[in-house]
Amino acid sequence: MLLVPRQLLRSGMTGNVPYYGGRFTPAQAYAVSHSSAPTAPEVAPDAAAMLDQARVPAADPVKSSASRADSQAALQHLLSTGVITQVEYDRLQARVAR
Amino acid sequence: MIGPVQVVVVGFDQPGFSGEVVAEFTRLEEVGIVRLVDLLLVSRAEDGTFETMTDDQIPAHFGRVAAGVLGWAGEEDVAPSELEAEASTWSLADAVPPRGTAAVALIEHRWASPLREAILRNGGRALDETWLARDDLDRLERMIALRGS
Repeated sequence: MLLVPRQLLRSGMTGNVPYYGGRFTPAQAYAVSHSSAPTAPEVAPDAAAMLDQARVPAADPVKSSASRADSQAALQHLLSTGVITQVEYDRLQARVAR
Repeated sequence: MIGPVQVVVVGFDQPGFSGEVVAEFTRLEEVGIVRLVDLLLVSRAEDGTFETMTDDQIPAHFGRVAAGVLGWAGEEDVAPSELEAEASTWSLADAVPPRGTAAVALIEHRWASPLREAILRNGGRALDETWLARDDLDRLERMIALRGS
């Protein structure tokens, strides 16, 4: 008898288990789009004062632009290699462009 | 209410079924652990089409239920909702390669019914679920041995 396979929802024992097929999970996509510089460890007050004196000035707009270009290139690579979908790409690119 | 039902697709190089697997399912069913709801043999042609198969080792009444669940029986197709379109789906076509032969078992895990109900009653929800691979099982066994029980 001929059998035409039906598309079925993938599920787990206790319900639908999210399955992303190797792509970013929402949590991973969020982490990528909200990446921030590592926070400095807590330091003693004296050391904090020294750090204040040596603090790097505000981000250079040129460097910031270069970083954005790098992020967009990385996103384009993820899209072209199938790691993320077009929808995820658009969403992440919008966040990078902010 | 029926317990969680697992779909297991097992490929075979050569068509044919010894009946040993069915015998093991029968044993597990007798002790109330699992129930072999149905067992379907399929073959896939070079052009991708599927056909159901029969085997002397498998009871004649097997296969129809699984074919009805896993296959499109000609009834009006229902367009998936937006949620379903975003959800992950699968089909036998994802599992069985062209020129392949497979046994598809629908296995009800009777032992899991009380556990599932308890999890749901307590607000649990599935975040992930998988089986450990062979290498990880070996590592697990070593860890259990180190633990001593």
